[in-house]
Parts: sequence; C-alpha cells; structure tokens
Amino acid sequence: MNAASPGGTGTPRRPDEPRQVVLIVDDSPDVHRLLRIKLRNLDLDLLHAYRGDEALELIARTEPDAILLDLDMPGIDGLGVLRRLKENDRTQHIPVIIISGMKRAEDKVAAFEIGASDFVTKPFDLTELRVRLQAALRLRQLLSLLAHRAQLDGLTGLWNRAFFEERWTQEHARAVRHVHPLSLAILDLDHFKSINDTRGHPVGDGVLEGLARILRRESRQTDCPCRYGGEEFALIMPDTHVQDALLVCERIRSGVEATVFNGCEGMRVTVSIGVVGASAQCDLPPAEWVRAADANLYAAKNAGRNRVVATELQAAGPHAPRLAA
Amino acid sequence: MTPFPTGSGGPLRSAFCADPDMRELIDLFVEAMPDRVRSLRESLEHARLDDLRRLAHQLRGAAGSYGFAPVGDAAGRVEDQLRNIAASDASAVEQVKAAVDELVNLCRRVSP
Repeated sequence: MNAASPGGTGTPRRPDEPRQVVLIVDDSPDVHRLLRIKLRNLDLDLLHAYRGDEALELIARTEPDAILLDLDMPGIDGLGVLRRLKENDRTQHIPVIIISGMKRAEDKVAAFEIGASDFVTKPFDLTELRVRLQAALRLRQLLSLLAHRAQLDGLTGLWNRAFFEERWTQEHARAVRHVHPLSLAILDLDHFKSINDTRGHPVGDGVLEGLARILRRESRQTDCPCRYGGEEFALIMPDTHVQDALLVCERIRSGVEATVFNGCEGMRVTVSIGVVGASAQCDLPPAEWVRAADANLYAAKNAGRNRVVATELQAAGPHAPRLAA
Repeated sequence: MTPFPTGSGGPLRSAFCADPDMRELIDLFVEAMPDRVRSLRESLEHARLDDLRRLAHQLRGAAGSYGFAPVGDAAGRVEDQLRNIAASDASAVEQVKAAVDELVNLCRRVSP
C-alpha cells in the first residue's frame, strides 16, 4: 500500500509497497484452493497457512494487510490466534475476518469481543466474502494513513520527533551492519525567539515552514528531514560521507540566508548546523551520534552562528578535528 | 483407478456447476472424493475418531462452498456427534456409524 507523501516534492517518502497481502488461515486445502481462484481478480498477494502456529509465524514475518481466519483448527485454534494478534502492538490493527462453520451466536460474540472485524459463516457466498474483504482492506488503508499522519509534524509536514527516533535507530543499525557511510545533521534557527517576540508567532511559524521547504528542496530523495522540536530540525543522510553531508548542509545554510521570509523584511534569518558522519566502521551508539551533532551545533552557535560545523566520527576513538565550517 | 460405486440415489451435482470460475475447482473437488471416502471408512474401521472428526470438519467447511450443501450438512452431523462422544466410550464407533454411512453415501454421489 502506498502511504501518502506529506509533501508534493517527493520527500519524505516511504519505500513503495505495491500490493496488499492477504493471509488465508484454514485447515482445509479445499478452502484455500477455492479462495485462490475466487480472489484472483483482486490485485492481491495471497499467503496460505493451514495451522494456527504456522499462521502466527507467517504474520510475524510478513504483517499482512488482512487475514481470513478459520476458527476450528487443530493445535492453536482461530480464537487463540486472534487473541495473540490483538496482544501484539504490531499486529493488533490488522483486520481479521473470521470464516467459520460455527453458526452459534456465542462464537460470533466471542470473536468480536476479542477484536475480529467481521464474521462470515461457511459455506460462504464468495461474492459476499470478496466485498467484505475489500471493505476490510479499505479500513486497513485508512488506518495506515492515520498512523502515517501521526508520524508527521502538523506545521511543517516533515517527519516528527517520534518518527526521527525510529528511523534514526534503523538507519544507524543498517549502516553499522553493512559498513555503509552515514551522516546526521541537527539544525537550529538562529535567534528564533526574537523573531517570535518582535514579529509575532504567525511570522515565526511561517519561518519554520519556510525552513522546512528549503530542507526538502536542498536534501536528496534518500535523506530524511525531520522536525526535532521547536526550532530544531534533523536531517538523516544515509549512504553519505561527511564531506558530502557538509555540502548539502552548506546549501541549506546559504539557502536560508538568501531567503526573505514573510514578515521578516529587514531582518536576517539564519540557521546553524551541526553535522557528524562516519565512513568506516563506527561503533558509537545512535544516541551518541545525536549528542555529537548537538555539540557541533553549539560550536557553530559559539563561533558566531550562520555556519556549519562537521566532524568525522572515528571508531571508539576521540573525535577527529573538525572540518572546515 | 477402479470406478467407485455411486451410492444409492442419483448423481449429486454442484449448485455452482453453471459458474465457469467454479468448473475447474469442482472437478478437483470431485476427483479427490474417492480418497476422502477411503479415509473416512478407514478412520471409522480403526476407530481413529480424531482423524474422523478432522475429515468431517474439513468437509463441513468446504463442501457447501463448492456447491455440495448436503455433503456439508452430513459432515456437520458427524462432527457434532463426535464432539459429544467421549473418546473412551466403547460404543463410540457404533453411535457414529450411521451418520458416517450417510456421509459416505453422499460423497459417492458427488459428480462433476
């Protein structure tokens, strides 16, 4: 499923997930065969499990977009599977449609109470099952969109702090595992408080939005620009040597300097940026990277603001001399 | 493979036999019937009631969806009876035999 990009300019963007995935869990091979044929016209990838434990293992690995779940199976039964899914943060929002020969009201009540989103009794009318599945997939899409929105900063449309923490940990782990270069920048608007105090908060908000636009414009597609909080921003630059990160950040800095923001006529709006990067193996934990980038940001502030300070991080050793600011 | 005898009563056809999507599926379902009948009979003969219950359960779920509602209903009766019989009950096989015979008879009548 495609999550909507927050900005029209292409970043931030998630990797495309082209087709929705539906898992069918039933102990009868006949049911799988039937559904495979009957659902083939929907643009879906189907996964198949014949036992409850097999289903749980597949779900943990693939996180399907919807699940068709039989109740009466050997081993872990359908309600057991459903209960486990609802206990897990990562799987609790996957819509589950129960497909069951059990017609008693108390079976349906039990399933809905645990969190099933729908219940279709066997023998099923396949047309009905198909439209119910489509309804569940639409719901899933909307929930994903909501979850996506929850990761965005409302004012600037950049990724928010929570998303930054998550993505930064992932990118850091990826870089360490594959020994890829990685860079991180922390940006802070200079004298932002005085803009708010003298020109008013709406003007201040406009400056934050303007900086977000410059960040998007000057960063690359694979970079991840985030609003870190207040007037602080962060830019994750995967597969980027610190020298290249410095160039990107210098473009951002000069872009801000050259911009006349609405309501800020006759005023110099500038940004200070701290950058760290590593090209070889670097075992500094992710939080230490942020601290080191922050230290460079404050070095930039102390050196007179409106500048970029960048450092190449070394494996475990003390920080290398700073690059040209 | 030796042709299996059709049970008493004429051939039983799928309610969906006019649906071109279902043709191939129904054929596969029907082809698998002699094996199923054999498994049902063997499970009953050897008093493997868990196997019998699982076979009946799967047929109950699937047969109706393939357009063979009477088979699904008969399988449901076998499953329900087995659910209410303790495995240790010495007369379990006797109690369920009539329902299994009825199911087997219907399975034999299933036709493409």
